Amino acid sequence: MHMADALITPAVAGGMYACSGAAMCYSVKKIKGLEEPEKIPVMGVMGAFVFAAQMINFTIPGTGSSGHLCGGVLMSAVLGPEAGFLTMIGVLLVQCLLFADGGLLALGANIWNMAFYGCFIGGLLIWKCTMKRGMSRKKVIAASFVGCILTLQLGAFSVVLETMISGVTQLPPGIFLAAMQPIHLAIGLVEGGITAAVLLFLYEMRPELLWGYNGRTAMEKAGGSGEREQTAYRKKAARLSAWQTVGVLAVSALVIGGLLSQAASAYPDGLEWSIERTTGREEISASGDIYEAAADVQEAAALFPDYGFRESGSAVGTSFSGVIGGITVIGLCVICCYALRFFRKRR
Amino acid sequence: MDRLQTAITALHEADAESGRRKSRSRLTPVARLIVCIGFLGVTVSFDKYNIAGLLSMSLYLIVTGIWEEISLWKGFSRLKYIFAVLLLLGIANIFYDRNVIMFLGGIPITGGMLSFVTLFLKGAFAVYGAYFLLLTVGIDRLCMALRKLKVPRMMVTVLLLTYRYLIVLLKEAQRMMQAYELRSFRHRGIHIRAWGDFPGLLLLRSMDRALQIYDSMLLRGYDGEFLYEMTERKAGWTISVLYMAGWLALFALLRSVPVFALVGKLFL
Amino acid sequence: MSEIRVEQLSYAYDGNREVLSDVSFSVEPSETIGLIGANGAGKSTLLKILVGLLGKYRGQAEMGGLPVEKKHLRQIRAKTGYVFQDSESQLFLSTVYEDVAFGPRNYGYDEEEVDRRVMAALEQVHIGYLKDRQIYRMSGGQKKLAAIATVLSLTPEIILLDEPSIALDPRNRKNLIQIIGEMEGTKIIASHDLDMILDTCERTILLAGGKIIREGRTEDILTDEALLTANGLELPLSLGKRN
Repeated sequence: MHMADALITPAVAGGMYACSGAAMCYSVKKIKGLEEPEKIPVMGVMGAFVFAAQMINFTIPGTGSSGHLCGGVLMSAVLGPEAGFLTMIGVLLVQCLLFADGGLLALGANIWNMAFYGCFIGGLLIWKCTMKRGMSRKKVIAASFVGCILTLQLGAFSVVLETMISGVTQLPPGIFLAAMQPIHLAIGLVEGGITAAVLLFLYEMRPELLWGYNGRTAMEKAGGSGEREQTAYRKKAARLSAWQTVGVLAVSALVIGGLLSQAASAYPDGLEWSIERTTGREEISASGDIYEAAADVQEAAALFPDYGFRESGSAVGTSFSGVIGGITVIGLCVICCYALRFFRKRR
Repeated sequence: MDRLQTAITALHEADAESGRRKSRSRLTPVARLIVCIGFLGVTVSFDKYNIAGLLSMSLYLIVTGIWEEISLWKGFSRLKYIFAVLLLLGIANIFYDRNVIMFLGGIPITGGMLSFVTLFLKGAFAVYGAYFLLLTVGIDRLCMALRKLKVPRMMVTVLLLTYRYLIVLLKEAQRMMQAYELRSFRHRGIHIRAWGDFPGLLLLRSMDRALQIYDSMLLRGYDGEFLYEMTERKAGWTISVLYMAGWLALFALLRSVPVFALVGKLFL
Repeated sequence: MSEIRVEQLSYAYDGNREVLSDVSFSVEPSETIGLIGANGAGKSTLLKILVGLLGKYRGQAEMGGLPVEKKHLRQIRAKTGYVFQDSESQLFLSTVYEDVAFGPRNYGYDEEEVDRRVMAALEQVHIGYLKDRQIYRMSGGQKKLAAIATVLSLTPEIILLDEPSIALDPRNRKNLIQIIGEMEGTKIIASHDLDMILDTCERTILLAGGKIIREGRTEDILTDEALLTANGLELPLSLGKRN
């Protein structure tokens, strides 16, 4: 899901930075208004938590492989969407620098594709709506799955869209989408499973930590009278066994998964249809028109005029002198650098 | 376990490297950040067939690499993450873009081949650009640069705290993981029964720690406004401005004029 | 007038699990007292109440003549330093300098004064050379000293230390004891490291099950083997050898 810099043009990158930046400023303002000064250290430490949790391998039963947590929906269920969003920005920036997971230039896009959808769609829309009339185990599970799967689908769709607008690949959008959406459906299922499991654990141990529990904010009751309610709850509700839980998870996952894959497979047609409309042509060939449309956008948005040799046939001549020139310039640079470094050390 | 250890190692390494350079460099982190962004922006803005132009951008990487004594091989392992994706998208280009653009020694070169190569070059250059930024500046000073560039204080504070507690929580997770592995037959990750308990417990511990940190801040007069100065010692502003102007001008030149080809023509 | 005064103080977490009951004692200015007791005796809870971190309690508590209430908290905290058991939670900024400067900046000192205070505090615990060090690159002993420096930078009149010697190696522990001895002000040291208490405190309070079991001269309490054993503690090693 993390986009590399190579997949994006400066214009798209800038646009996505602007969108994510606006969402960030909104969140900062919103949190300042909450007057919960403890939010800041909590966000910081939770960012480090998400990062550490992402490094844990979760065994996927029956497959022998392992899945990982991303954390957007989880964070907004614990901290609320705005605080969750800021936390995830921190996580994405550190990921990008430390592991080259996603490029620095594409960071704005990555924040949008992962943190924004995860926190504002998964958290604000789905979690909040589900929990409006009180929480229950089933609702926690449902919200986790729907939230994770939906936000990952949206994210994957955005990745395709941003890549296509940037025009770096000739892969037809239909095929690209057909590859991306199902993969991210699987990822979403695992993410949903882990998120549901963690949130259920919290719901049993410290329900007051969850955002929107009894209409109170997460921190208001932290360390408060949670323990008593917890024992009372334990007596009342018999615990589902681990296998029952897995069963519930699996069934709901399959239902939601089925529905969403239907929706996902409908996407490509929708995109082609809309391009058909905008370009006014009847038939869309695999690579031609959409690419040209994208290239036009790119051309218009490029920082500098192009001197590329798209039409020029004299590429051979330039390329030969280019090779010689390149070797000369790079060679000179290397020599100069080493010489300067040598003198710096002598000094 | 593996991933946790990798993360811890990466963090230590990046920090040791940036720490080593910090004392020497007189450039402000803001200048480095801007030059890096400029480099990335110009690099990805090249046309998908323009290999020569793209290659000329390697000057920045070569000069910085040599001057800062960064081993290019060390950064190479970072490329593997993005290459899988780029390979997929790039190979599609070879199949879908078959217009012959030129002949190289009689072999027809299609647009797809060219764009395949540029995609990889862009990917690799961008990864190195960010890697160099991390090694020369370090995350904490980068946060300081972001603050100077008017990123909201709250965001920067969250970043700083995340970075500060990264290693603490990574090590905590590693200890928990080791304890878990010692008591389980399966050695491949967390069993589904513990999917909730394991990260959940880590989350609760982290939350408790966060509240303790909050207590500690309260006791030292915190009242909602997180104050830190991040004083920059002996930053050379003149040299920073020169550094910035020099590189940005060079990037603009490389982007608008085929420098390599022009130099080559001098010899022909 | 005593610097710290506690009268019939009781506290219960969650409103029902009482961890302190009817605790009364007082501490004179510049006195150093030890607060000993087994794990879960209520030592940390007592210290946290004194700086207003735990909220509602029954009875009275006064710090420097001010009752521990919400409206006085800022004043009380300005003259009280609290060293946490876990230094990792106390040091939350990336470098030592920034962290020690956090307190003085919050109290509105200008940068020059902040710098002076930071350097003085670091020198007081002999870690001036660590000022630009990244915190996570420091050893446990260095972190503890840095945590103490963060407190000293506000020149507190009262210092509360929660298990300061925990997880320190013998040399760091010795160093710490010396530094605690050099610090000025009224001090309460909560610990079950009885040897350290013996070295640093004139007077000691023994806490068990949330109640004060005994209060008196350190030497009297720490040599009473029967009393200590009954309350989950053991004779200090140094005294054990002597006998």
